[in-house]
Amino acid sequence: MLVGTASRAFTRLHACLPPSEPSRRSKSPMSAVITIANLRKRYSYAKRGRGLLGGFSPQHVSIDAVDGVSFEVGRGERVAVIGPNGAGKSTTLKILSGILEPTSGEASVLGLTPWRDRKALAYKIGVVFGQRSQLWGELPARDSFNQLRHIYDQDKAVFERRLGEMVERFALADLLDQPVHRMSLGQRMRCEITASLLHGPGLLFLDEPTIGLDVTAKAAIRDFIRDHARDHGQTVLLTSHDTRDIELVCDRVIVVNAGQVVVDQPTGQLRKRFLGRKVVTVLSAGPQIVVDLPGVTRRASEAHAVVLDVDTRLIRVEQVITAALAQGGVEDITIEDPPMEDVIHDIYASALAVR
Amino acid sequence: MIAFVRLYALQAAAAVRMSFADRANFALQVAGMFINNAVFLTLWVLFFAGFKSVGGWGFADLALLLGLMMTIVGLCGTVFGGYRDMAISVLRGELDALLTQPKGLISRLLARESLATSWGDLAGGIIVLGLFADLKLADLPLLLVALTAGLTVYLSAAISFASLAFWASGARSFARDLTDFTLLFSSYPGSIYEGAVKVIAYSILPAGFVVMAPVEMLREPGVRSVAVVISAACGYAALAAGFFHLGLKRYRRGASVA
Amino acid sequence: MTSTHLHSRSVEAAHAASALLSAFRLGVGQTLAGWPVLVGRCIFYVILLIVLSALWDKVAAERLPGTQAGDLPPGGLALYIGVTEWITLALPAVHLKLEDDIRSGGLEPHLLRPKSYLAQTFSQSLGAAAVRLTALGVTALALLAVTGREPPALEAFPYIVVLGVLGVVVGVLLYALAGLMAFWARRTLPFQLVIQKLMFLLGGLYAPVTLYPGTLEGVAKASPFAAHLYWPSAQAIAASWQGFLTGLAWQGLWIVLLSLACVRLWRAGLAKVLREGGV
Repeated sequence: MLVGTASRAFTRLHACLPPSEPSRRSKSPMSAVITIANLRKRYSYAKRGRGLLGGFSPQHVSIDAVDGVSFEVGRGERVAVIGPNGAGKSTTLKILSGILEPTSGEASVLGLTPWRDRKALAYKIGVVFGQRSQLWGELPARDSFNQLRHIYDQDKAVFERRLGEMVERFALADLLDQPVHRMSLGQRMRCEITASLLHGPGLLFLDEPTIGLDVTAKAAIRDFIRDHARDHGQTVLLTSHDTRDIELVCDRVIVVNAGQVVVDQPTGQLRKRFLGRKVVTVLSAGPQIVVDLPGVTRRASEAHAVVLDVDTRLIRVEQVITAALAQGGVEDITIEDPPMEDVIHDIYASALAVR
Repeated sequence: MIAFVRLYALQAAAAVRMSFADRANFALQVAGMFINNAVFLTLWVLFFAGFKSVGGWGFADLALLLGLMMTIVGLCGTVFGGYRDMAISVLRGELDALLTQPKGLISRLLARESLATSWGDLAGGIIVLGLFADLKLADLPLLLVALTAGLTVYLSAAISFASLAFWASGARSFARDLTDFTLLFSSYPGSIYEGAVKVIAYSILPAGFVVMAPVEMLREPGVRSVAVVISAACGYAALAAGFFHLGLKRYRRGASVA
Repeated sequence: MTSTHLHSRSVEAAHAASALLSAFRLGVGQTLAGWPVLVGRCIFYVILLIVLSALWDKVAAERLPGTQAGDLPPGGLALYIGVTEWITLALPAVHLKLEDDIRSGGLEPHLLRPKSYLAQTFSQSLGAAAVRLTALGVTALALLAVTGREPPALEAFPYIVVLGVLGVVVGVLLYALAGLMAFWARRTLPFQLVIQKLMFLLGGLYAPVTLYPGTLEGVAKASPFAAHLYWPSAQAIAASWQGFLTGLAWQGLWIVLLSLACVRLWRAGLAKVLREGGV
């Protein structure tokens, strides 16, 4: 019934809208793991007016969280979906994993329509939410894994082999018998990812998999996801606020904003233009440090602090620091990746400029 | 003394305002507790309809006991609501911030919170006392003595239980359980307890002095019964203060609280 | 073709059963991991029984003429209360788990799995209840031995165990109804309180419903609340094959009806979540 309504709505929308822009990277349908066309999700909610009477006559407001998104993902691709908060990336991921019905549009994931074949699809995909645990906290990780084996109807021998491989590659041996709620965030995340892979899914969805982790833990998780996916021909779709997640794991980036795809490019291309940068902050006791080198841009700075944008294609960070130290009086130096918001802003601005 | 009461009233009023903040939730909790008490009372009505009396106690006596209990728990929760999680406050190290301040520690802990559900108890208690407990206007002075004394014993017991946290970190929920057990003992006719159970009810879990002795005092007023009620209140208050400060001394030496 | 179909159906059923069994074991494991809470529950059980049996022993000892005391069984109601509280304290807070998962969005990871969240949650809750029933049951037997009270007739024990376990199933389903209301209500506390109070009154938590006035007794006996508490506990004071079968029939009926109600609520709630992306 619901599905019927949705598809009718789709036909109606389709009839009155101009033909949509074709996907920028068309793959042959044979190799496509995910195909979505003109996906839309409209949320409506009642907005209560002010005063006594206002509460009785709510106005209905609607928002298009996803507004005509189309793309394809081929087998073995590792794709990052990025965008500012509320851009529609989580909504898209939810629709693709089957836990949200779109208002209109079509999608095929591993040959299934996610919102119609939620349970059948569940056997074929793995999902990790960085901010939500899918393990049973008070029990040892091994018990959670075992429970998942039964939920996914896994053969014991196959399951043990996969777990063994994961334990070795992810250094889990000491963790298996620890209750999950006593683990550090990094340890827990390794177990979460393991849990999502034990049924051997061909497609992995990761929502902010490294959020809140320290640098070492992040590195371990990125390496693991990338290597595991490469070795098993697994397709990965991830969202993240960390530019390094995207650079080190994904080979393609889709930028969404206001419910629409703004940019869809290989990571390599973006890296050249937007990702190969560092932000260096130099604190000094005396006068401001001045670093005047090609590839270094000075940002708005304070009395004793200079913030420098470093383009690592033109100059190594090491050279910038050496130049700063040479001036004397340096008290502290920090090296950071530019925040995702800045990167998205830059990408978005340049995409608009091209149009 | 007046300055102290004024300060306490200010703190408690702030806690009450905080518990009002979520109106719908507040109304729900008050109504829930009120219905809870009404069902409990209905069960007793059914009981006395069938069995007339137990150990010489009739429905009016039980109503007096329940009315006292509900009013005491209601007052404690609204005005001294911090008693409920006092052990947890101690274990979380929340004392450190309070220790740096000049005013009374126990009173600060008690005034931290006001429990919404307690308004339901308080309203229920007053209704039960007014309608079912067979009290006359002349009983009012003694009723106030009974409530004050009972409240003092109940609160003192709760503070003593919470003080266990200075010695054992496992006292987190145990302190609350002991308070609940006292409440449980206090919700049944005093006449049913005999032997060892009666000893417990008049010592460790002092339901005897929270409600039973006060009920006796109101039913058979006399110098002796009034003296028992008042001296018990003073005794338990002194015990609680002593116990708490002994624990505090240990805490200050840094010996306690894992 | 048909035999392959049949085969795949039976494989599917076997998979479903093993997932449920695994969830049951998970509930057992979780409850055992929280053993201090379990011990606390047993202590609470003992104190509750001390107070309540003091009340009923007093009533039984006095046997005031012209009152219902004449209708009480010879040993009073201590054994009856022992069973009602055994069942009540064994109930896991399934409504809180449902409310928490539904309201916090914790449902999502479960919906991404191929097995029914509702069935898994039930099975897990029953695992937790099984551990509690065992621990509280041992406590009750120990208390019986220590106090020297006359135990129920020997044939009552199997009746009590069977009806007690099914009584817990009825209780879990009743609380689940309250919990599933979280799809529509911000807090399920009011629903939970209504159900809990009806368990007290119509279930006969403190006294058998046979002591109630005529009409109320009839209503109570036919209600799911009696299937939850009264029928199992009645066996402790007057064990009979006939009473056992009557209780079993009522429990069977209510388990079917309540399960259907739960599934209906779950489907409606799930459709809402899938459509609106949350509650």
